[in-house]
Amino acid sequence: MITKTVLIKDTTPGSTSGTKEFFDVFTAALRESKLADEIRLVRAADIGVYNHGIVLKILPDNITYANVQHHDIKRIIGVTLKHGNPIKDLLYQPRAYQLRLVLKNCGRIDPESIDDYIAHDGYRALSAALQAGPDTVIREITASGLRGRGGGGFPTGLKWSMTRSTPGNEKYMICNADEGDPGAYMDRSVLEGDPHAVIEGMLIAGFAIGASQGYFYIRAEYPLAIERVQKAIDQAHAYGLVGERIFGSDFSMDLEIRLGAGAFVCGEETALIASIEGKRGTPSPRPPYPSVKGLWGKPTCINNVETLANVPSIIRNGSAWFSRIGTENSKGTKVFAVTGKVRNSGLIEVPMGTTLRDIVFEIGGGTASGKRFKAVQTGGPSGGVIPEHLLDTPVDYDNLQKLGSIMGSGGMIVMDEDDCMVDIAKFYLKFCVDESCGKCAPCRIGGYQMLNLLENISRGNATLEDLERLRLIAKAMQKASLCGLGQTAANPVLSTLRYFEDEYREHILNRRCPSKKCTALLQFIIDRSRCKKCGLCARSCPEKAITGDKEHGYTIDTARCINCGMCFETCKFGAVERN
Amino acid sequence: MIIATINGIPVHVAEGTTILEAARQVQVKIPTLCHHPDLPPTAACGICIVKVQGSNKMLRACCTPIEEGMNILTHDPEIVEVRRTVLELILSNHPNDCLKCGRNQSCELQNLAAAFGIREELFPKFISGIPKDDSTNAFVIDPDKCIHCGRCIEICQELQQVWALSFLGRGFSSRFAPAAGMRLVESPCVECGQCSSHCPTGAIFELDETVKVWQKLQDPDNYCVVQIAPSVRVAIGEAFGMPPGTNMTGKLYTVLRRLGFKAVFDTSFAADVTVME
Amino acid sequence: MAALTADDLAAIASRIHDQNASWIRVGMSTCGIAAGAERVYAALEDELQRQGAGVQLKKCGCLGMCAAEPLVEVNIAGMPRVIYCRVDEACARDIVRGHVCGGKLLQDYIIDMQSEDAS
Repeated sequence: MITKTVLIKDTTPGSTSGTKEFFDVFTAALRESKLADEIRLVRAADIGVYNHGIVLKILPDNITYANVQHHDIKRIIGVTLKHGNPIKDLLYQPRAYQLRLVLKNCGRIDPESIDDYIAHDGYRALSAALQAGPDTVIREITASGLRGRGGGGFPTGLKWSMTRSTPGNEKYMICNADEGDPGAYMDRSVLEGDPHAVIEGMLIAGFAIGASQGYFYIRAEYPLAIERVQKAIDQAHAYGLVGERIFGSDFSMDLEIRLGAGAFVCGEETALIASIEGKRGTPSPRPPYPSVKGLWGKPTCINNVETLANVPSIIRNGSAWFSRIGTENSKGTKVFAVTGKVRNSGLIEVPMGTTLRDIVFEIGGGTASGKRFKAVQTGGPSGGVIPEHLLDTPVDYDNLQKLGSIMGSGGMIVMDEDDCMVDIAKFYLKFCVDESCGKCAPCRIGGYQMLNLLENISRGNATLEDLERLRLIAKAMQKASLCGLGQTAANPVLSTLRYFEDEYREHILNRRCPSKKCTALLQFIIDRSRCKKCGLCARSCPEKAITGDKEHGYTIDTARCINCGMCFETCKFGAVERN
Repeated sequence: MIIATINGIPVHVAEGTTILEAARQVQVKIPTLCHHPDLPPTAACGICIVKVQGSNKMLRACCTPIEEGMNILTHDPEIVEVRRTVLELILSNHPNDCLKCGRNQSCELQNLAAAFGIREELFPKFISGIPKDDSTNAFVIDPDKCIHCGRCIEICQELQQVWALSFLGRGFSSRFAPAAGMRLVESPCVECGQCSSHCPTGAIFELDETVKVWQKLQDPDNYCVVQIAPSVRVAIGEAFGMPPGTNMTGKLYTVLRRLGFKAVFDTSFAADVTVME
Repeated sequence: MAALTADDLAAIASRIHDQNASWIRVGMSTCGIAAGAERVYAALEDELQRQGAGVQLKKCGCLGMCAAEPLVEVNIAGMPRVIYCRVDEACARDIVRGHVCGGKLLQDYIIDMQSEDAS
């Protein structure tokens, strides 16, 4: 009869056989103690703990031991497995926990079943809100300290009360699901995994501001999210939770989906409204703000998916419960899409105030390659890079802004020493240049000029004055662009300049890319001593720039070489060097 | 009534007045480029930015309503530097063919560059090289000279309700063009001329046939006659600095004869008949 | 049907809540599907039928560990509730034969994370 299960994982960096070895030793020890029939040993693929040697998790006691040595096995068997007592000095104390609030139901409930959602406290908040009345709802949301999760961080309660206090019989509620940052997909996962939570949030918000119609603005590139939200709306409609006289009250609200055609700028609220109205998706000047004059000229409230997904929990558990989580000015949790050169790319949800180091190393598991961490980009193309020495900064809206980045919608891209900061700046700026609507001059022309300057730097065709030009244009874009896209498009350039100016100067003054990323600055040569004369490089070269034969070895004709790097990738012996 | 200050000068204006209008009332000049008094602000160019005390943001004066108690600063080194950079950026995307341009000496961009004392180019030039559209007998469209102020589109779509012009594409490759990228002659354009009369640069201008007329007049094998529209007798006076409404019929006939026309026909009688009908 | 009342919510919840039921959940968000969750789901469905195991097979959204998709969470009465990662069709069949029918946890596929739920 099996009473306990022990999960085993060797989390030592670079270790490949540690888990298996420990497993075998432990198995033998159990047999010796005559516990082999009672304790089940299992090698885990990933135990959620990193760089802590051998880690054991004992179920059902839920005890985790870290840095376990072979000589600890006896104690563990005797104390914990036989008697269920924890061993204090082995206990693993996680520095950082994920706290699942928005993602609570994601991966736990069937997103296509409204009953499953209802079984997980679904639509109770709506029922409670309808009884409490709009003023109480707005008061609760305001007291909770919830701020917009789309990136701006505007207080949600204030937005609602502004829309509510604008006179008008017709008001609109819009859910902004036009998520477009490279590498960010928090909203997609929430819509796919828990669509009813967002619908419930929409209905509560609509009730609070006095709207009778709500729109989901979802980008067309999210077909599964669209399908599941539509299904969820239909199910809610069938239950009378969307439509006329919800829960038998006087409140009626309909929901519809509008598809975005994939323009990043349509995440900006005035451009989003123009897009729903069927116009060209370009921003217009604010004021008037949408809360005064929005969709079809009526007062409109626009909230991000994650913001709305927070709402039902706040109403259900109260503002005091919510505001206990997080920091002074940033309450609650934040979902991040951690991607790039990180071991566990995926979605995480942490309380505001968790440090970047904990996110990247404790939860993310550090770099995937094991190479040195260089920086993390937050806020997508509107944010900036944060270097290693600032990793202990607790994440909240204000702190990230001070560092020259922003919270943004939650994209977090980890970079290791192979990433060139000029290249990174170029990547993000290129994104904004491609996505600029072209309306205002600073963004349209400024972005293009900056991209051209960066291109010159990465080719070694720049001067130090070009850095000043970059700063000059960046300032004009920040100050004189009409919308958030243009105002923040220069952030990646400015933040890489701020923390990694050395790298820029190295490109300009010495025509060298320290990360060996900017191929135009590299020179490929074959190291004769390591070359095995296999000829693979010569066959891979698209320009036939590698000559020689299997007898005499091979050389690269640098005049013909186009620096594509194919030979470097192909060589199995590390004989191709790039400098 | 709203009370605020601009560069320390108190202003009293009606609610809804923009910062730009308020500044003009107290003789403070904020430079503008895309703004046109006939049209709602498109807020495109970013030249008219100003600061409000207590905020490090810069606001567009053309479209921001002035608020009670605002302390507005229209000029300081930072504001002027940003304006100048924006202007330099616009110029980097504009061909330098002023001498050959239909809008030479009546160009708002040229005037602004002169006002900022631009003598050399700070940024490399990038011109899209989109071909001109001279498919109609009325206008020539030269997209390379467009500064994306959006006036022509605003007036074509919202005021005239014709919808012949629109923006196409996005980012650096966005351009104004007859709807859906067709040629102007195939578009719904009715040749009303509002776009060209509101264009600040040479991006849309009237087809100029003066040279052709001179050639015909000077050709001894040609017998040239001229017929004038009723409005020209008055309009031409304004062009020569006369007070609006001055009747120039006699002078006009004489001038046309001196230019070499063998006969001058006047449409005014036919116009009167039309009116009587 | 007629509009729901607040009491109906509780009725639906208690109908759904059956803590003791055995179930298997497959993460079927874009990340899971891209990694092959649909094939895994089909394999589980087929193998459950072959073995005649009375286990509920369900779809769910993304747990967050996208790099380790497809994820399959298994809850069988009397066994610890575990999540298997990087599951392929062969592994899916092993889950049914080994874990569901044989009472054994699979080696080298279990994934765990340090998290807790708010509320």
